[in-house]
Amino acid sequence: MALPEISLDKIEKEVTNSQIWKSMFRNWPWQDTARHRARHIVDNVWLHLHPAKIQPRALRWTFTWGLGGISFLLFLILTISGVLLMFYYRPTVELAYQDMKDLEFAVSFGIFLRNMHRWCAHAMVTVVMLHMIRVFLTGSYKKPREFNWAVGVILLKLTLFLSFTGYLLPWDQLAIWAVTVGTNMAGATPVLGNEGPFANLLGMTISNDVRFVLLGGTTVGANTLLRFYVMHCVAVPLITGALIILHFWRIRKDTFSAAPLAKNEEKADVWPNLVVREYIAAAAVTAFIFFLSVYANAPLEEIANPNVTPNPSKAPWYFVGLQELLVYFDPWIAGVLLPGIIIGGLCAIPYLDTSKKGIGYYTWSERPFANAQFMFGIAFWFILITIGYFFRGPNYFWYWPWESWLVHKPVSAPTWSFSLPVGVTLLAAYGALGMTLPRLIKSEICWRKASGAFLGLFALVGLWMKFGGDISTWRVVTVGVLLYLTFLFGFLYPQRYIRDLDLPRYTITQALVLMQMGVLVKMGLRLGLDVKYILELPQFNLNI
Amino acid sequence: MHRKLFYLFNFLVLGLFVAAGVVDNHREWKGYQKQYKRMEISRLEGELASADAEQKPSLELALKTAKAMPIRLRQAMSPDLNRYDRCVSCHLGIDPETNPAQVNAYAEHPFKAGDIPEHKAHPANKFACTSCHQGQGLATTMEDAHGLVKHWEEPLLRDPYIQGSCVRCHGNFEEIRGTEQAKRGKALFAKIGCIGCHSMKGSGGEVSVDLGDIADKPASRIDWSNTGPLPPHQRNILNWIEMHLTKDTIELIPGDPHGHSCAHLAECEPVAPSGMPPFYEELSYEDAQALTTYMLGMTDKKLPKEFKVPASAKPEPRYADSIEHGKAVFTKFGCAGCHGEGGASGRRNFNALGEGQDKTRIHEVSEMAKGREPTLTKVVGTYSRDELRKKLHDGVAPSSIVKFNPDGPTPPLFMPSWKTKIKGQEMEALLDYLFSIAEKSGEEW
Repeated sequence: MALPEISLDKIEKEVTNSQIWKSMFRNWPWQDTARHRARHIVDNVWLHLHPAKIQPRALRWTFTWGLGGISFLLFLILTISGVLLMFYYRPTVELAYQDMKDLEFAVSFGIFLRNMHRWCAHAMVTVVMLHMIRVFLTGSYKKPREFNWAVGVILLKLTLFLSFTGYLLPWDQLAIWAVTVGTNMAGATPVLGNEGPFANLLGMTISNDVRFVLLGGTTVGANTLLRFYVMHCVAVPLITGALIILHFWRIRKDTFSAAPLAKNEEKADVWPNLVVREYIAAAAVTAFIFFLSVYANAPLEEIANPNVTPNPSKAPWYFVGLQELLVYFDPWIAGVLLPGIIIGGLCAIPYLDTSKKGIGYYTWSERPFANAQFMFGIAFWFILITIGYFFRGPNYFWYWPWESWLVHKPVSAPTWSFSLPVGVTLLAAYGALGMTLPRLIKSEICWRKASGAFLGLFALVGLWMKFGGDISTWRVVTVGVLLYLTFLFGFLYPQRYIRDLDLPRYTITQALVLMQMGVLVKMGLRLGLDVKYILELPQFNLNI
Repeated sequence: MHRKLFYLFNFLVLGLFVAAGVVDNHREWKGYQKQYKRMEISRLEGELASADAEQKPSLELALKTAKAMPIRLRQAMSPDLNRYDRCVSCHLGIDPETNPAQVNAYAEHPFKAGDIPEHKAHPANKFACTSCHQGQGLATTMEDAHGLVKHWEEPLLRDPYIQGSCVRCHGNFEEIRGTEQAKRGKALFAKIGCIGCHSMKGSGGEVSVDLGDIADKPASRIDWSNTGPLPPHQRNILNWIEMHLTKDTIELIPGDPHGHSCAHLAECEPVAPSGMPPFYEELSYEDAQALTTYMLGMTDKKLPKEFKVPASAKPEPRYADSIEHGKAVFTKFGCAGCHGEGGASGRRNFNALGEGQDKTRIHEVSEMAKGREPTLTKVVGTYSRDELRKKLHDGVAPSSIVKFNPDGPTPPLFMPSWKTKIKGQEMEALLDYLFSIAEKSGEEW
């Protein structure tokens, strides 16, 4: 008996003409026409957040670097791998660590999943930060996108918080102590934390303050593990997911890309031009994460032991910059005030920078002040992280990366503080002069001359410090460099570029600039002159 | 261009996922299980070939079972001790499930299980493996499971150290077999007088740390700066204890005898190195191992009551005379730790005044290290009975010890006050004993 002839064309026709197929794919058969390319986007629930057409400039790899999409992809991978990990993980102090070992040694694909989750989390934190930098540099936060920028800032904080809550779950020494360092900052919240300034106003003690609420106890323990687990797996992802939807929706509503359209330029089809780029970026990142997960295992140290503090105990890397600031400031400044100002300042940027220049393209010359200040802040943030992560050893002493932590370092020199009148005067002078001088001097200052004069003056002071005060050269140089940076970014830049801003915007901008540079000044005073506090008010626990 | 990238990354993702699967599927223990299975099958086939008709059915059944043996993760569990040990995934011979006899007949197989009564007395389903052997039971690779990795502080205990595990539960370990080294360690502990400085769960000397839970000391509490070429994964308590007995403790814990470690020298107090006398000079390596073995049994970890074996009651010792009694008191309180066995040679006390110290090289560590505790046989004769009793009563505070280098650190060892510990008859017997060993000087002056 002869077999019936098999015709692939016929089968395809049968299948695609069937009621089932047609019910699933609204737009069949596919034809490569402008109408169909548009319908691919419009008729597809997953793609319809895109417009059908887009400015060609926005398609370039080097415009967005795909960073927003990659952030979302990492969020998706994290969700999937996280849900799978939840099948194997029990958030109790007796079992959590054991489950980590089971994942590594007994569960199929267990360590692969855990690695993927870990590396994706680190990657997401990095990529979200880079995404913010990109959006800033292309001016894509400006009208009408101000609100979406603020949503993005909140999403960045939520990303950090998601990563931080997940950090505790392996319940090893790395986890418990990083979280201890991180949550101790909460105890330093002014008014609400037991170690913060004005803690006695509301009668805060270690067992009723904001840190207690976060930990579910006075130390990181079983309750903390459960709280962080629920926050990590349920509460924060839900909030983050909701805000991601809002973020995407606003992208679409605020017009998809800020990239300007040149004269007589035609928009390009999103399908396939943008979709294929998004797909390639996603596949490349997935491949990269897979590669990392096959070849590098996520860290796991000894089981958590509240009685054994590793020396040094470091926060997760993205908070190590703030931890580094603990060297120079009390926790309520380093851990609460400065992060708060950073979040608030970032959200405020689109409302302060209302210049119409530089929307949708990279430019330094059209917006020198905004770019310089922002990139200085970013560089400062990453330098602090680098120092905290690579240059700090036992007792948080300075260790070069090539130095063994087993070598003991001498105890650092004793510190001193200014007396109250001197401290108040110095702070008031810094604030008053810093706020008024750039606005009051209306003439154009020649930067080269000003810098020369500043450095010349400092060279004289430096020589006096070195030979009169017997301070080592590198200390003098450190103070000099940090003070010059303060002079440059805190005075010369504002004087030239924002002195004619309207008063409210000038005031807020310059206040933010002065606070950023104030951190630098304090670092200089500590590193160069061993100053502990400029202003010391121990009765209120308020030291600056 | 995009088409190429599209294919490239798709295949890369797919390839890496397959690679992850291969890596995941390729587990060290599988190879060992297959090897065991092969050996078991070939042994049974060999026996079957030369077996008579009577034995054949049972051998055939055994062969069938061996051939059907699944390659899978296995574990010995002891919920009471919270042990879940996957050791039996590689060490198949000892798994009662695959091998009820718990004897692995293959000398060439790396996991030959000893046919020893200890294994029968501690069945795997009640004790699992790591309760005695230590190591990382949840791990399934050799390096991790044997605890030869960073961040795992309980390495696999080999002979003789494993005898330390007997000490943990058996209060009467000296009366059971197989604990010779631990027994020897305990005897040495008494003989060289460790208890004179160290206490043991609260009872004993007050000069140094309590050793009652020394086996639990976390590696991160230890300063490994001066342990020489010890690799990071070997930084465990076993090596730390043993190094105290095989190395000069001044090198191990050098302190800061010159007060150099602060930024401002004027505020710096010199810190003496470890006061532990250089026992490595007297002990053989086997002695050090035996002491370490005994120390590894010193844990404070809570065990279910039914796993604890109490020490058997000892009869009240009887002494022929007061001097013999005094000698027992001397040992009981560890006087030998500082004054040497039989009080015959005072041990090192850093920067105390001693014999043969070169006054011109006052700042050198090697000269300060010549400081000695008093040699009792020499000094006891210079005391009256009442004076000696008072000395034992009051002790000598660290600050009262004459320093060799006045700017150097306070000597780490000192005579504690024995007022509350040595009393009444014991005190008198000790005095009798001390005067009996004192050298009689030839000429009175």
